[in-house]
Amino acid sequence: MAQPQVPVTVLTGYLGAGKTTLLNRILSEQHGKTYAVIVNEFGELGVDNDLVVNADEEVFEMNNGCICCTVRGDLIRIIEGLMKRKQKFDGILVETTGLADPGPVAQTFFTDEDVKARTRLDAIVTVVDAKHFLGQLEQGDEAQEQVAFADVILLNKTDLVSADELAKVEGRIKSINPYARIHKTEKSKIELDAILDKGAFDLKRILEFEPDFLEHGHDHDHEEEVKSLSFTSDRPVDPDKFQKWMGALLQLRGPDIFRSKGILAIDGAPKRYVYQGVHMMMDADWGQPWKDGEKRASKLVFIGRNLDGENLKRGFEDCLK
Amino acid sequence: MKLDLGNPDWRQTLPPSRSVAADAPVVACAFSRDGKSAAFALGDGSVRLLPADVKEQAPAAGEAVHQGAVLSLIADPTSDGFLSSGDDGRLLRLSPDGSASELTHQKGKWIDKLAAHRDKGLAAASVGKMALVIDKAGEIREFGPHQSTVAAIDFSKDGSRIACAHYGGITVWSIGQVSLPPRRFAWAGSHVALKWSTDGKFIATGTQENDIHVWRIAQATDMRMQGYPAKVKSLSWSADARWLYTSSQPVFTAWPFAGKGPEGKPPLQFGDEGAGLISVIAAHPAAEFVAAGYDSGELQLGDIKTRRSVVLKMSDGSPVSCLAWSPDGFHLAVGNDNGDMLVVDLRR
Repeated sequence: MAQPQVPVTVLTGYLGAGKTTLLNRILSEQHGKTYAVIVNEFGELGVDNDLVVNADEEVFEMNNGCICCTVRGDLIRIIEGLMKRKQKFDGILVETTGLADPGPVAQTFFTDEDVKARTRLDAIVTVVDAKHFLGQLEQGDEAQEQVAFADVILLNKTDLVSADELAKVEGRIKSINPYARIHKTEKSKIELDAILDKGAFDLKRILEFEPDFLEHGHDHDHEEEVKSLSFTSDRPVDPDKFQKWMGALLQLRGPDIFRSKGILAIDGAPKRYVYQGVHMMMDADWGQPWKDGEKRASKLVFIGRNLDGENLKRGFEDCLK
Repeated sequence: MKLDLGNPDWRQTLPPSRSVAADAPVVACAFSRDGKSAAFALGDGSVRLLPADVKEQAPAAGEAVHQGAVLSLIADPTSDGFLSSGDDGRLLRLSPDGSASELTHQKGKWIDKLAAHRDKGLAAASVGKMALVIDKAGEIREFGPHQSTVAAIDFSKDGSRIACAHYGGITVWSIGQVSLPPRRFAWAGSHVALKWSTDGKFIATGTQENDIHVWRIAQATDMRMQGYPAKVKSLSWSADARWLYTSSQPVFTAWPFAGKGPEGKPPLQFGDEGAGLISVIAAHPAAEFVAAGYDSGELQLGDIKTRRSVVLKMSDGSPVSCLAWSPDGFHLAVGNDNGDMLVVDLRR
């Protein structure tokens, strides 16, 4: 019995950024949809609702010796349990604690076959506190990583900062991750279709989600520890060389590469080759065919820590014909 | 009376059975201690009771007893009713007529797994990182916390201990009056299924990474079986403890535990290949038979002595989610994700 996969949205953000306000809104507003919400702190949500499930953020390391292959076993169990209910869901939201790395949540959806059969990772949504974000960047890696992982960013509490301050925060966000779509909000007020069912991890929708993905590079050469790098070329890609290079790269540098994605013009192939990765885990498939006379160009994006631009550039160029 | 899979009748007609449909997935099934009734736990929070005698009139479906989905169901070791647990955090005792009384309510938590020891009248439940043991009088004792949520739980043969599966291995607790420190058996990764062998000597787990791990309890040695294409979520020891049956293969797959054990030996495989993989496996409570449900919907019965097998139900695409033998081993209860409940009378 083929059932549609339920989209799962991962909600991250620093303590006090406005995640709970957003979740309360989703649970209490009349939108005619049924969402299950998986939270860490039961008490924080004001609503008593059987669609809210308490999780303990239990991360385990895969037994394959890779330190970045971490998975949320509790999520696998909870999603399996939710799928037993008679009630069907329009979506599932997974809230992570303020200090959590979104990696293990995302990787769970790359790893577990049962979870993949019933659900699909839709997008990572990060709520950013406009007033405190710059301070939080100084306090540790979390605020920076949560932005780096994001597909959608709610730049929240904009009413608490001046226009200058807001522009500065937005600039910092873009210097870490220029690919996320930013929505400026007050009190986490946003239309749900701006954050839910975005298909950010859907290989078929990479272009739809980022219409300017191939248009121009946004690379910011700030001295950010976490940043994004993109590489483009009009020359066709040798698939064997690319596979070898990417495999070795992720093996070696996986822990530092938070997100990677790309659209490749493979030598002689009629279709685009698209891929998406979180740390070492990756999904890839053939995408839309190239149109007659269309310019065939490839583009790769990496978002991560301590990325060596020169090295990545050389690696990519070695894969070109 | 004996089950003889060599009887040609098996290939021509299906044994007498009763089939009932619900519009919620069947999560678990069990026969009562007296074998007179089969219970099916559903995703709408109800438990459907069907008489083992397939000709007897079945009572109507009852009201939901849990608020969300039922997560686990077993025979009540102290009566001819059942115990059920759900994602509403409640553990219920269901009388043979289906009426429910609450044993515990763990607000905001799920009670995932249940196990029972019939002779001692004990039940065990997993609640987050804790394991609960419930005695005949309904008194509850807690064991834990474990390092992560307890994913599976089982009693030792003599009912003096429980074993809990979690991240990084398993923990064995003595549940007698004297509290002894727990014994931990380590193996990295997440352990998602657990079964204590019917002779009490081994504990087998299925892992997140498609392996099986087995510990020899007395010697604290362990072994690992690899090569499954999916997680092994269902394990079952033969009544004589000579075989460990495992799910997640297209045919019956049994590891030999007689003599020196399975080290260096391949598993015994037999039976008709299903369209999919075995999703649930259940060894007969007394004899050499084994039943398998497939994720493609087939139901197959095997005899490990003669290596004969018969297909009781063809693929209908809906994964078999649960299987249970009656205590006398002449009836089978089967449920699937589509909400179909089946009671089969195997005497012919």
